[in-house]
Amino acid sequence: MGPIRIEPQKALDEALKLQQKLSAGAQTLRSLDPVTFGVTPKEAVYKDDKVTLYRFKGERPPTTTTPLLICYALVNTPYMVDLQDDRSMVRNLLALGQDVYLIDWGYPDGSDKYLSLDDYINGYLRRCVDFLRKSHGVDAINLLGICQGGAFSLCFSAIYPEKIKNLVTMVTPVDFHTPDNMLSHWVRELDVDLFVDTLGNIPADLMNYCYLTLKPMRLNQQKYIGLVDILDNKTELENFLRMEKWIFDSPDQAGEAFRQFIKDFYQGNKLLKGGLQIGDKSVDLKNVRAPVLNIFAEQDHLVPPSASRALKDVVGSSDYSQIAFKGGHIGIYVSSRAQREVPPAIHDWLAKRA
Amino acid sequence: MSNSAQDWINQWQALAQRYWDGWKTQGVMPPAGFGKLDANAPWQAGLDQWAQLFGQGNPQSDLVDRVTANAKSYVALMQSMLNTSVGQEGGGSAAAWTEAVRNGFNIPGMDASLWNNPLGTNFRDMAGQGAKGFEQMMAEFGRGAGPLKQEMLAGLGMPAFGLAREHQERWQQLGSAMVEYQEQTNRYNTLILKSSQQGFERFQSKLAEREEPGRQLDSVRAVYDLWIDAAEESYAEIALSDEFRKVYGAMVNAQMRVRSLMQTEVEQQTRQLGMPTRTELKGVEKSVQELRRHLKASREASAADIAGEIAALRAEVDALKQQVAQSRPAAVPKPAAADVNPPEAAKPAAAAKKTKR
Repeated sequence: MGPIRIEPQKALDEALKLQQKLSAGAQTLRSLDPVTFGVTPKEAVYKDDKVTLYRFKGERPPTTTTPLLICYALVNTPYMVDLQDDRSMVRNLLALGQDVYLIDWGYPDGSDKYLSLDDYINGYLRRCVDFLRKSHGVDAINLLGICQGGAFSLCFSAIYPEKIKNLVTMVTPVDFHTPDNMLSHWVRELDVDLFVDTLGNIPADLMNYCYLTLKPMRLNQQKYIGLVDILDNKTELENFLRMEKWIFDSPDQAGEAFRQFIKDFYQGNKLLKGGLQIGDKSVDLKNVRAPVLNIFAEQDHLVPPSASRALKDVVGSSDYSQIAFKGGHIGIYVSSRAQREVPPAIHDWLAKRA
Repeated sequence: MSNSAQDWINQWQALAQRYWDGWKTQGVMPPAGFGKLDANAPWQAGLDQWAQLFGQGNPQSDLVDRVTANAKSYVALMQSMLNTSVGQEGGGSAAAWTEAVRNGFNIPGMDASLWNNPLGTNFRDMAGQGAKGFEQMMAEFGRGAGPLKQEMLAGLGMPAFGLAREHQERWQQLGSAMVEYQEQTNRYNTLILKSSQQGFERFQSKLAEREEPGRQLDSVRAVYDLWIDAAEESYAEIALSDEFRKVYGAMVNAQMRVRSLMQTEVEQQTRQLGMPTRTELKGVEKSVQELRRHLKASREASAADIAGEIAALRAEVDALKQQVAQSRPAAVPKPAAADVNPPEAAKPAAAAKKTKR
């Protein structure tokens, strides 16, 4: 018996369904409004060059006294955490009583080419944290770092342990040399100095191209075949386009920060192995003394779970917890399972350490 | 021809007719010659016409381009598979089906160098949709620097001497870098082609697993999804290999050398025209960043100084207040009879105001 048995009638149905979806899409696509993201009301409370610190406004006042600061990655915009009404980690955290702040790093241009990790971590991030400590009259805040922002948050917590009450890391790479880390594998032979000296800032298009080539057939072909299935559904199509906009509306990367991140984190693996310097400050994860909640995604193709799990063995905190989420790097923020599971898990963990 | 095979062909032609009838209602016409119920008329042609319904400059046109590009592959695959199905009644071998899938990706009119290389086609499509990978960046840059390339190639084989020797040496370096980049790109493309080939092999072995009764695939989508799984697994295996790591790094580094040397040449030209160069601008940008850092550090230090000074002054004032309070003689209570000023007592709010001030 052969491996494929396609009945003519079923094949006909399949072909006609495809055609009907495409025909319907001709109407639906014309009726769509421009999509946006970042839906929760927010107020800019502090500005520092292109960096803006926002405070989100919930439907009721926060019940917690310690502010929660979200530190996102430099790649992509931070609004993955507040994509749309029914897919917003921020909105869910506010509803649980958290007082949520977020750093928007902005879009670096040529004049920001020489921004270094020292500028980002000891500069912008520290000043945002100090602003919150002062405005809330607290010695330490809760910090939630995401992806590269999680690596920044770990560095910050190691350098300034007295300023962090609780640390949450999400899909954060710690061991950059696990064998399943394709990005790390690719950049290992890269001459980063030549790369940055030549390109200056690293174009967002190039970054996105590299991400797509991690799973080229799935992300650039199968995804759009799947899109045909929802071409007749305006809501689903808008959700798809919103995500698409988020994926490709990305900032360029400041050259110097990129240089150091690739050299020290991806190539040198210094966050794990030690020897990492951010400006004149040494980073030793043993200095992270605040309670740590480490959340990672089991199907993450950008930051493999093995890269995040490594934190357990190197962090100085005696209060370490971790959650393995069933989903991918993006699903951990936007899937319906994530809406149900992740914000309550963070809130409950913080509440026990208030 | 058996009856069942003839039935299949009849059904297949009816299917093709209905497919195009459906398109006609959308204003999409079948390709020439379809009137003869030719089941081999390229189905993906309808997608091109569908895409044209949106016109250029539509806000969703990028999405339409992506859907069209991928749906064309899918529809071609569908057509190839249905053609292969004729008369087989589910009996075709894994090898025959793999061949059908392979042919499905070879769309008439496509670049022949990408024949049997769906992964290479995929990368090319990504560039067509506006994404800029290393090759595309180089191609764009190369277009702008075309005249320089001609100049460089002309001088590549000549000895360098005299007034222009420095220029010629630079051109020779650039020429070598371009040759090197081409070699590295070829090595990279070879691995991508290898990945495509291994994808088909893996697909065939996955198909063979489906020959067991009850595990057969019964839709084109299921076949397509299985092909994607096979292609991704093969690619991941190659992309995580030491060889790929070296080849990928060498390709990117080689391109950066070419771009860097071309930038030097552009600077040579712009300097002669009295225009500011990239190097000069970088120098200014670096200085601006250093000044920015210095300014922020000064502001913070000065704010800290002022805060310290205020705290010290407050402490001093508190200490003085305490001293004054301690040195003041204890108040002697006035006799009640001496209280001749009852209106003051009747104005507590005014008294409180004075105290506040």
